[in-house]
Amino acid sequence: MPQSNTAKKMTTKDTGGFLRVTTARMISQSFFFVAFLGLFAVTTYLCLADNPRLIPWVAKFLEIDPLTAIATALATHAVYSGLIFSLMILLLTIALGRVFCSWICPFGTLHHVVGWAFGRWTTGHRIEVNRYRHSYATKYVILIATLAAAVFGSVQIGLLDPIATIYRSFTIAVMPALQTAAPGRFGDLRIYQLAWLIGAMLLVLVGLNLVIPRLFCRVLCPLGALLGVFARFSLWRIERDTDTCTSCGLCAAHCEGACDPDGSLRKSECLVCFNCIEDCPHDALRFGYLPPRHTEVTNPDLDRRRILVAGLAGLAFIPLARAAGASGKAYSSTVIRPPGAVEEQEFLKRCIKCGQCMRVCPTNVLQPAMLEAGIEGLWTPLMSFRVGFCQLNCVACGQVCPTGAIQRITLQEKLGLGTCAAAGPIRLGTASYDLGRCLPWGKATPCVVCEEVCPVSPKAIYTEWQQFLMRDGRKIVTAATAATVTLAELPKGGQTRSEPTVLRPNALRGDDSQHFYVKVPTAGGADQTYRIAGNGVDTIQIDGEFSQAPEPGDVVALLNEIKVPRIDMSRCIGCGLCENVCVINGDKRGVYVSAEGETRSRGYGDRDRSLRLTRTEE
Amino acid sequence: MSESNGTRPANETPDGGLTRRRFLRRVGAAAGAAGLAAAGYVVLHDPTGKAGLARPKPITLPDYFETIYGGFGASEPRLVIVRTNGKTPVAEMVRLALEPLGGMGQFIARGDVVLLKPNVAFDRPPVLGATTSPEVVAAVARMCFAAGAAKVLVADNPIETPANCFYKAKITDAAKQAGATIVLPSARQFRDVQVRPGQPNPDRHEALGTWSILYEPLKTANKVIGLPAIKDHNLGGASMCMKNWYGLLGGRRNQFHQAIHEVISDLGYMVSPTLVIADATRVLMRNGPTGGRIDDVKQAGTVVVGVDQVAFDAWCYENLLERDPATLTYLQYAEDKFGPGTGARRFGQRNWKDYRDRGLIKEINVSG
Repeated sequence: MPQSNTAKKMTTKDTGGFLRVTTARMISQSFFFVAFLGLFAVTTYLCLADNPRLIPWVAKFLEIDPLTAIATALATHAVYSGLIFSLMILLLTIALGRVFCSWICPFGTLHHVVGWAFGRWTTGHRIEVNRYRHSYATKYVILIATLAAAVFGSVQIGLLDPIATIYRSFTIAVMPALQTAAPGRFGDLRIYQLAWLIGAMLLVLVGLNLVIPRLFCRVLCPLGALLGVFARFSLWRIERDTDTCTSCGLCAAHCEGACDPDGSLRKSECLVCFNCIEDCPHDALRFGYLPPRHTEVTNPDLDRRRILVAGLAGLAFIPLARAAGASGKAYSSTVIRPPGAVEEQEFLKRCIKCGQCMRVCPTNVLQPAMLEAGIEGLWTPLMSFRVGFCQLNCVACGQVCPTGAIQRITLQEKLGLGTCAAAGPIRLGTASYDLGRCLPWGKATPCVVCEEVCPVSPKAIYTEWQQFLMRDGRKIVTAATAATVTLAELPKGGQTRSEPTVLRPNALRGDDSQHFYVKVPTAGGADQTYRIAGNGVDTIQIDGEFSQAPEPGDVVALLNEIKVPRIDMSRCIGCGLCENVCVINGDKRGVYVSAEGETRSRGYGDRDRSLRLTRTEE
Repeated sequence: MSESNGTRPANETPDGGLTRRRFLRRVGAAAGAAGLAAAGYVVLHDPTGKAGLARPKPITLPDYFETIYGGFGASEPRLVIVRTNGKTPVAEMVRLALEPLGGMGQFIARGDVVLLKPNVAFDRPPVLGATTSPEVVAAVARMCFAAGAAKVLVADNPIETPANCFYKAKITDAAKQAGATIVLPSARQFRDVQVRPGQPNPDRHEALGTWSILYEPLKTANKVIGLPAIKDHNLGGASMCMKNWYGLLGGRRNQFHQAIHEVISDLGYMVSPTLVIADATRVLMRNGPTGGRIDDVKQAGTVVVGVDQVAFDAWCYENLLERDPATLTYLQYAEDKFGPGTGARRFGQRNWKDYRDRGLIKEINVSG
């Protein structure tokens, strides 16, 4: 670490151990950062299905984040599952101050390294840039506003929470960028909408370290603010011996928290990085136990007015965000949530936009929302069946969700098997056909690949034979025998003679996927339809014989019969495999899934989006 | 508690050393914060996620006929019909109809809170016969007060905008003049009601398990009087006494049409009312339930009062809508579900024509 010439480095002899404390800190930072990267390597290079024991570790950093636990507890009045581990970090902070920020937090480490590597200041500049600024109180305003919003049912901490941000940025922007830059080396390419925005946000936040080191940690981080509030209780802190201190200011040269170690230490800002102790040429600083209060600033830099304004801003967010009704009546049918997701307004009380469900999803179907789910739903997961589909025998997303926005469902619950048969399967939505785009329905072309891939059993897509009038299918009869009929084109306006029909020989014989029929009028009765067995250039031969042969001059119709697909609403679970494989490849497909029929909102009164009255299968 | 730089409080030793008091305060504060945090975490801990999703327990509706059932002997009429030539006021017709049943005093006791449940489903004037008449609402409210009721509530959850429907049907004015209180539905007033425990069994024509109900007016009411309109209903055959309870429900009622007869009979199963009174001076004979044409309305000059929902609907279907009750599917389902008069709750008589033979249906004709 660059030092000024007049500084005296604290030797290991001085600290009485075999390791400088800042070295220990750097080892700790490296350990946790490598662990964080390692968890990404796990999902990139290993198959989670083969290593189910690793699944709970994938999102571990999120579980130890106290802001996640507290914000979701305020909204849901419960601490979900593994979030209880974040109590350790709170207790650590109550004892020692914000050690989490400079010893554990991987986002903090990222900022620390960038700030150190790209800072090109002289010692004088460094001291200046590490001075405490009043704008550093902004993070407390952000904390109060987001916690106030959480109290009233909208959890938005994920937007700026450091752990959620680094998880999200790496999942949605960094990994796909690496996958694009070095194809194959970092796993298969995963695509996510808005990757550019999330990547840009990461670059901007990290780039701000060139302006002020650890700017995010000092100005924006709501978790740092939360820990800063708890740090007021800490029993140890950096303590300055005023008799030895010469007020040279060198302790501020590498102060990560900008906490005024050369004055009254701001306990809520100190990141306990120990750089100041290292840098002091006079050994005036130590990590003291219960130092006197009058030499510190105990509380965060907030006055009552600011707290009030922040709280009101957070509260105002809820009605403004909800006014458009996106989580209620005016919901978008494109918001299809993962299997095990809770009802929408409950979901918004839990989702911290960490992106881990998107990461472990094997098909890449989960995408970060833009405004489909309203402003509250920004970056929450929804399904895009263009990209993927919900794999039938997979429940990975719920296993990694740290807050229970996606519950930890079993396969039995998902598919409605065994003891869950009475409740039925979890439905994400219902598929419907776009009759104009679908090949059989709209374009008289055999297909039904959707039926083939429908994964439930019995299938939710079934087929029926349907007859369609062929193009130029109306012909006029010129001659007929017991089993054949010779055709000519219908005369066009003004013509007196019909042109003979020209058919490719046996084009109308048909096969397994397509049959052809000729429909002939009968005297005084309904039309009769006969299967075509073969044809010549202008003569058609039917299967069997005419019960009443057509007369010359009769108009007959040529029909082609193909299989058309239909959805059985009682079986469709909205997995989207049909939409994903549909030949019509673009935004709007021949078959598409919409959120109607989802089971997660069942029983929620007006917010119920289910379709069917009865729950049990017929 | 933030102390500024430089001033030294009195409990500090001159050299800033540790005093016992400072030690206890500081460690105590830290321990207290740690303890509170830990306690909060442990108390709120929800390992499975289910606690955070807990919903308020569904309510179950009491039997609003229970206290009257005991007084109903085997030879008391179950159904009373008053027919006039249209010149008798509705209030008088209702009074005449209640007489053989013992008058309103048989049903309403001093201090009761009575909920009147009219059919105000649509934004229609009374003359079109698509809603309950304002005259019967006013008449019944007055009679309840006369019998000693402390409070009379009038409530419905219309299809169209509540305030408009109540006003156009003239029920807002009628209630106000009679001293009754209108309860207009709003989103926050709904709670889940348990129609039956567990899943409905489609083999027994059951459709409702738990559903969202308009709870606000039911919270305090201990008597419920149904005031249905008698109407043709395109999908369900007719909208009469049982169908009228649809107006108490919320949520996704638009799903009911997938199994309308199962649902209508379940509505009758869900509510055991104190009394049912229908003002059938106007009967919507066709194009129901919304109606819209005067020509579809028959001037029937009749009031029907009863305590048995199955008999009530069967009689009205045959004699007012002039159709065969054997073809009305939900009636058959109701008879199956209600059972033969087992206790107060399910009075449905399998062979309701038996009532007539036993003199339990009384018809009063008023001329002049």
